[in-house]
Amino acid sequence: MADRRRINGPPGGTRPPVFASLQESSTGIANRAQRQRQPAELRKIFLKTGLIPTASGSSYLEFEPSVSLAAARSNPKSLIPPSSALKLACTVHGPKPLPRSAAFSPNLVLTTHVKYAPFAARKRKGHIRDASERDLGVHLETALRGAIIAERWPKSGLDITITIIEAEDDRWWGDAPDSHDASWGMMNVLAGCITAASAAIADAHIDCLDLVSGGVAALVSDDSNQSASSAPRLMLDIDPAEHRSILSACVVAYMPARDEITELWLKGDSSRAALEKDDGRTGHEALIDGAVDAARGANTVLAEAVRESIARSFA
Amino acid sequence: MASLPPIAIPGQRLGPLSTYSAGPGTHVQQSFIYASIAGPVVADPAQPKSQTRPTLRVSRVISSKDQAGLTSAVPVASSTTSKPRYNTLPAVDSIVLARVTRVQKRQATVSILVVLDESASQPQDQARTASDNDNVASILASAANPENHSSTDELRFQALIRKEDVRAVEKDRVVMDEMFRVGDIVRGSVISLGDQSFYYITTARNDLGVVMARMSRGRSPDRSENMQLFELGPSPCVAFGVLFE
Amino acid sequence: MSNQRQASSASQVPHLSPAELSYLYTSLSLPKNPIRPDGRSPTQFRPLSAETTILPGTNGSARIGFADGTQAIVGVKAEVEKTVLAADTLDSRSLAQHGDALNREGEQGSAAVSGQGEWVQMSIEIPGFRDDDALPVFLSEMMRESLVGSVAGGNGDAVKEMAGGLKGRLVINKRWHWRLYIDVLLLSQPLAYPLPLLSLTTHLALLSTKLPKLKSTGEEDPFFDDDWAAAEYLYPRSNISKSLSAAPSYPVRPPVTLLVISVGDNVIFDPNREEIAVADAVLAISVTRSGDSETLKLLSIRSIDPPSRLTQPGIPNSENVNMLGATAAPGEETGGQEEVEGVWRPRRGGVKRSVIARMVKTVLGKGGVGEEVLEGLEGVEVQ
Repeated sequence: MADRRRINGPPGGTRPPVFASLQESSTGIANRAQRQRQPAELRKIFLKTGLIPTASGSSYLEFEPSVSLAAARSNPKSLIPPSSALKLACTVHGPKPLPRSAAFSPNLVLTTHVKYAPFAARKRKGHIRDASERDLGVHLETALRGAIIAERWPKSGLDITITIIEAEDDRWWGDAPDSHDASWGMMNVLAGCITAASAAIADAHIDCLDLVSGGVAALVSDDSNQSASSAPRLMLDIDPAEHRSILSACVVAYMPARDEITELWLKGDSSRAALEKDDGRTGHEALIDGAVDAARGANTVLAEAVRESIARSFA
Repeated sequence: MASLPPIAIPGQRLGPLSTYSAGPGTHVQQSFIYASIAGPVVADPAQPKSQTRPTLRVSRVISSKDQAGLTSAVPVASSTTSKPRYNTLPAVDSIVLARVTRVQKRQATVSILVVLDESASQPQDQARTASDNDNVASILASAANPENHSSTDELRFQALIRKEDVRAVEKDRVVMDEMFRVGDIVRGSVISLGDQSFYYITTARNDLGVVMARMSRGRSPDRSENMQLFELGPSPCVAFGVLFE
Repeated sequence: MSNQRQASSASQVPHLSPAELSYLYTSLSLPKNPIRPDGRSPTQFRPLSAETTILPGTNGSARIGFADGTQAIVGVKAEVEKTVLAADTLDSRSLAQHGDALNREGEQGSAAVSGQGEWVQMSIEIPGFRDDDALPVFLSEMMRESLVGSVAGGNGDAVKEMAGGLKGRLVINKRWHWRLYIDVLLLSQPLAYPLPLLSLTTHLALLSTKLPKLKSTGEEDPFFDDDWAAAEYLYPRSNISKSLSAAPSYPVRPPVTLLVISVGDNVIFDPNREEIAVADAVLAISVTRSGDSETLKLLSIRSIDPPSRLTQPGIPNSENVNMLGATAAPGEETGGQEEVEGVWRPRRGGVKRSVIARMVKTVLGKGGVGEEVLEGLEGVEVQ
C-alpha cells in the first residue's frame, strides 16, 4: 500500500533536462578540454595559511584552472564550464581536551572531516556526508597520522575539517558514464586535501616528522587520434575532464625528507602501461613513482607556504 | 659545526646528534636532529653541570633572545598585531592559571586557562614574561566575566585540586568551600597528568593559590582563609585583586 | 565514542602492553623466517570453513567462518532497473541519424555494453558499528572499487560475455539493466581487521550468484524465463558439462582483496589482531585473474592506518624512575630519543617504496599468495 502521509514522486524515473546548446554544438571533440601541459608538468598551486583567525591553524588551496577553463571563464561560449579547478579550505582545531566520554589516550587523537560544499560538484551534494566523503576522511586520516608525532600530545584531540568549495570533475561533463567511470576526481581532491591539511597542521604548530604532500599520477589513453597502438601513457597531476579514458590512477601522501609514503591509493588496470623499453618497472610501480614526483612538486609549494606562515606569526 | 638555519620547517635537518642534543620542537632520526614544527631555531648553550652538548630546539613563541637572530631572516612587519599561540599542553610541573568551575567537599574542579611557559619563570627571561602578561591579562579578564563561563569550558583542559593538595600545612582541616568559589582564578602547579579527563593540580606552595576572586558586595569576608592565600601569593607575573560586583 | 573513532581506520587497538608489543615485533621481524604467534608461515592463511548458496531468498549467497569464531554471511540480490540515458548517448544517437557519426560510431557501440559502477551497491553491517561509521564505509568502498573496476581482457566466448567486467554483465539492453545489491553481514564483533573475511565471502557469494535467463531479445522490455534451473551464473563457467565431479573453472573471477602487513623486512599475510598491532605498514591489495592468461592482475591498492601508531610507548630502563630509584633525574625534555633495543615505540612515518613493491610482488608473483588464495577458493564447491 502506498504511503499516504507523504507526497511521493512519480513511480518511474524521469529524464534529466538536456540543454539545447548541447545538442547542437557539442559533438564533443571541439569543446572537450585538451591537456596543454607536458605529461610531467604539474598545475600551479595557490596555498596560503592562517586565513581563519579562530582556528589554531588553517589553510586555503587552489589549483590553477586549465587553459580551456580559463578561456571559457573570460569568454564564455556555453552555460557549462568545460572543467573545474579544485578549491578547498582546511581548518585545524586543537589540541583540545577529549570529550568526557572518551577513553584515555596516550597519543593525539586525530579526527578528519571532509565535506563537499553542496555546490562544489556539478551534481549537488547533500548536507549529510555521503560515503565518498567519509571515505576521503579515512584516507586523509591515514595520510596525516603517519606524519604527526602523536605521543607529544597525550589526552588531546585534533579536529581537521576540510570544506571543498570547488571539486574536480570525474570525467568530461559531456561523456556518458562509461566503463572507466570511477571517481577519478576524488583522487585529485584527496591530494589537495593532504597538502592543505599539512600546511594547516604546520600553521597550528603541531609536531610533525615532515611536511607531507599529496600527488596524483594516472595512466590515460587518449584514443582521439584513432591510432590503434595508443598504449596508455603516464601523466602527472591529471585533470580528468581533459582525458577521454583514464585506465588507472594513484594518489600518494609523501614525505620527501624521509622518502616515505604514508598513504597510497591506487586503482584501475595498470598492467598495460607504455614504458620505455629498458624500464624494468611494472605499471603500478611506475604509477607510484609518478605520484611521488607529483607530490614532490606540491611539496615545494607547501614548504614555501609554511615559511610564509612562520614569517607572519613571528613577525 | 655546520651553521644552523635561522628558521626551520618540519622535516628540515638541523644537525647531527653528536654535536647537539634534541630539545622541544625537534625529533631524532638516524642520528640526526630534524625540526618537527615550523619556527626559529635556537641552540641553548650546554649547561656545565648536566649536559655536554648544546640543546637544539625550535621555538613556538618568540622571545627577545630569539628575536635577534630572527629579524635578519624574516621580514618583520609589525610586532604589535601578532599574538603568540598558546597550544602548549599542561605537563607535570608546569604552572597554570585556571578558573574554578565547581567546588565539592573533597575536591575543586577547575578549567585550565593558560599554561605559563616554563622558562617564563626563569629570571633571565623577563622580557618574555612581560610579553606573556598582556595576553594573560586579557584571558583572565574574559574568564572572570561570568557570562563567558560555561560556553568555552568544553574546549579547555579540566583539572582537579584535591583537598589534600590545597596547602602544605594543616591538610586535614581544609574546608574546600572556604578555599575556593566558582569563578576564582587559581595559580597552580600540575602534579600529574591524571586520568582520562582530569589533570591534578596543587596549590600547596607559597607562590600558588587564588590570585583573583570576585567578592559579592555586602557579604562579610568570611573567606578569610582565602584572603590569606592572597597574601601568600607574591606571584611574579600576575597582578591579583578582588573585583566587587 | 573514542573506541569507535580509533577503530575507524585501523580496527581496534588491542590491549597489549609495550613489552608484549616489543616481543611480538621482534619475533615477527626476524630475518628470513618470522615467528608468528600461531605458528603459521608468513604467507599462510588461517583455516576457514565455507559454504555457498545458503540463503534461498537471494540470487547468490555464501558463508565463511574462521576458526576463531568470526563468521560472515553475504547475500547478493539483483533487481531489474530502467537505465537513465545520459545526455551524451542521446546526443550521439541523434547525430548518427544525420549520418554524421564521425568516429563516435565505435564508441556508441561500446556505450551500449558498458555499465555504470553505481549499479553495484554494497553495504557492510558490522556489529558495534553504525552503518555510517568510517570502518564499514571504508571497507565497502574498497571492495566495491575493485569489483566494478575489474575489466576482463582476453578472448573466448565466456570472456566475451563478461566484456566490460561486472558492470558490462549487468547491462540487459540499452534501456534496462540489473542492479546488484551485495549485503555483507558480520555475525560477531570483529576480532581482527575483517577485510579478508568479508572479501573472501563476497567472492564466493558472487560466484554462486545466478540471474534469471533472459527470453526477450534486443531492445524489447526484458522478459525472463521463470525456471530457476535455467538461470545463468553471473560469472559464467566454462566446463560444467565435462564432468560432474571436477570443479568448474571460471574464465573470469570476482576480485579478492588481501590484507598484507610489513614488519621489519618481512611481509606477512592475513595478520591476526595481535600481528596487525605491530605492523609498520598495512596494505589492502585487490587482485583478480585476468581473462584466460595465467597471470594475476592488480586492481587496487589502499594503505590502511596501522594501529601501531596509536599504541602506548614503553619506557627504557635508563629513563624509568622506578628502576633506578628516586635519585634518577627525569630525562631531559624529550625531543624524541633514538630507539632503544627491546623497548616499544609507536610506529611513526610511512613506508618506503621498495617495501610496497615487495609486498605487491609477493601477491602477484608466479606461484605467489594471490594464486594460492584463488586456487583455494576454487576448491570450495559452488552449487
